[in-house]
Amino acid sequence: MRFALAFAGLIDRLTAAIGRAAAWLTLAIVLMQFGLVVARYVFSAGSVPATESVIYGQASLVTLIAAWTLRTGGHVRVDIFYADASPRRRALVDLLGTLCLLLPFMLTLLWLSVPYAARSWAIMERSQETGGLPLVFVLKTLIPAFALLMALQGAAQAVRAAATLTGSADGAR
Amino acid sequence: MALAELFAILMVAAVCAALMAGYPVALTLGGVSLACAALGHLLGLMGFGILGALPQRIYGVITNEVLLAVPLFVFMGVMLERAGIAEDLLETMGRLFGPLRGGLGISAVIVGTLLAAAKGVVGATTVTLGLIILPTMVRFGYNKRLAAGTVAATSTLAQIFPPATVLILLGDQLGNSYQAAQLAKGVFAPRSLTVSDLFAGALIPGFALVGLYLLFLIAVAFIRPEASPALPREEKSGAALAVRLVAALIAPLALIFAVLGSILGGVATPTEAGSIGAVGAILLAARKGALRVALRPVVEKTAQIVGMIFLILIGATAFSLVFRALGGDVMVERALTNLPGGTDGAILIVMLAMFLLGFVMDAFEIIFVVVPIVAPPLLQMPGVDPVWLGIMMAVNLQTSYMHPPLGPTLFFLRSVAPPEISTKDIYIGIIPYVLIQLSALAVLWFWPGLATMLPHALYGH
Repeated sequence: MRFALAFAGLIDRLTAAIGRAAAWLTLAIVLMQFGLVVARYVFSAGSVPATESVIYGQASLVTLIAAWTLRTGGHVRVDIFYADASPRRRALVDLLGTLCLLLPFMLTLLWLSVPYAARSWAIMERSQETGGLPLVFVLKTLIPAFALLMALQGAAQAVRAAATLTGSADGAR
Repeated sequence: MALAELFAILMVAAVCAALMAGYPVALTLGGVSLACAALGHLLGLMGFGILGALPQRIYGVITNEVLLAVPLFVFMGVMLERAGIAEDLLETMGRLFGPLRGGLGISAVIVGTLLAAAKGVVGATTVTLGLIILPTMVRFGYNKRLAAGTVAATSTLAQIFPPATVLILLGDQLGNSYQAAQLAKGVFAPRSLTVSDLFAGALIPGFALVGLYLLFLIAVAFIRPEASPALPREEKSGAALAVRLVAALIAPLALIFAVLGSILGGVATPTEAGSIGAVGAILLAARKGALRVALRPVVEKTAQIVGMIFLILIGATAFSLVFRALGGDVMVERALTNLPGGTDGAILIVMLAMFLLGFVMDAFEIIFVVVPIVAPPLLQMPGVDPVWLGIMMAVNLQTSYMHPPLGPTLFFLRSVAPPEISTKDIYIGIIPYVLIQLSALAVLWFWPGLATMLPHALYGH
């Protein structure tokens, strides 16, 4: 259990580092979009790569932030019963939820999206817009990356929940 | 009824049951859908291979251009919250109107409306109002239930006034459904429904709701003066206060006009206006010297809210994929078109279902899961205006933010309310406002023009 908890801590640090870095994409999206507005209304200029960059920002943000948000409890729950449940009961919900819902879903998605992204890599897929970014394969790689990060974070959550249930959670987080 | 359809109904029941356990909604949706697809495959009701479409669907979700308005407006709202714009407003307005009977409640509603128009994030408004004006109301002898109910209801205005997140998400989903509905009717040059249409459509109903809230507070002030007493007058002269109020009002008002004016005037798309609003909020925070401290928390909070919304959308995508593969959408369509009462009956049932679902699901899930299933058949029916339908849904969903047990507003309020206000006070205090919401829906039902007038006048269709 000690080893598993150390492993969970490692995953936490990884997803938190990625999440905190990805969070700055919100500022990047704001500034890039504002730049586009200024360019359009002041200079009547538009740019396909810049417009696509904002979308790339959004796609990267939402795929890379999800695992850290899971760790910090930012995903909505129906908390009719959960809010008043004991720590043990919550740990049970989290353990079963991770094993029966999160992991199967994310592992299936990983299994489906790796070939999906690989097909895009094989042809170095680029934007269909003229002058668009030649990086669609990177964008599509975000989906398996998202599934993998979520599955890893799920495993960490499951380890912690199991530790709470078996009473060996003391000392480690 | 075909076996597959029965299975689709079971799938909905399974999702609802699993949600009750309290595991994050988005993952529950995804996990249960996957299990149902596997089971359906084994029973020969659908092919598991349909899930192969999932990566491409998710790609569509994360690169959706309409949804780009969400991070921008959430950023703006969170930044304004951290910059403390609301505090100034509430304090001055409370001093100015406090010495009137019911005045504090009325200032709460007015400030709540202004904040709603600037924020579009329900939690931010609730926390601000709950922390600042609720303790004052209680201290000066307001009825606790009236005070709690007013603050809770007022904060939900952030989900009906543009640029409410709910309106952006509804606009996206209804826009797709509207196209599908017209294609199904054989219209091959379909008209589009945009987020701007819903923003414009929500304006008059939003103000009507504010009017009803104010009428209620004024009525209470006359019928039961002891429930909302006047505050003792301060020495400070009214004129000096009025000047302070104007000073506190100028910046947020300018921002609201810049953002909403550019959208409603048809100059900018919601996404463009959102970026202007977000940059405006950064400038306001910088002027107050709060930017340096606030930036990192704002960025992280915004990112997490946006991540939460998109994860629900991803889970809901898996759900609709499987639900459709089982023929669930055809079943819903047939059920809706065969209802007694025709179009009216169908809309009434959908509204009732959304209201009831509001007790167990949150507004985002209802938009992502229910709207894509019910909207296409409804929009094919004669005389159903997409803007009107969207606004009816928005008012309905706004109500779901205030009623127990799930209303996020109540949850946020409970976390910041002074200790002498119990959960029960909040629940009872909200009842008159839920009734106001329902009567507003009735009014909209009979006068659809309230919702459609403005978008038709502005965008001419």
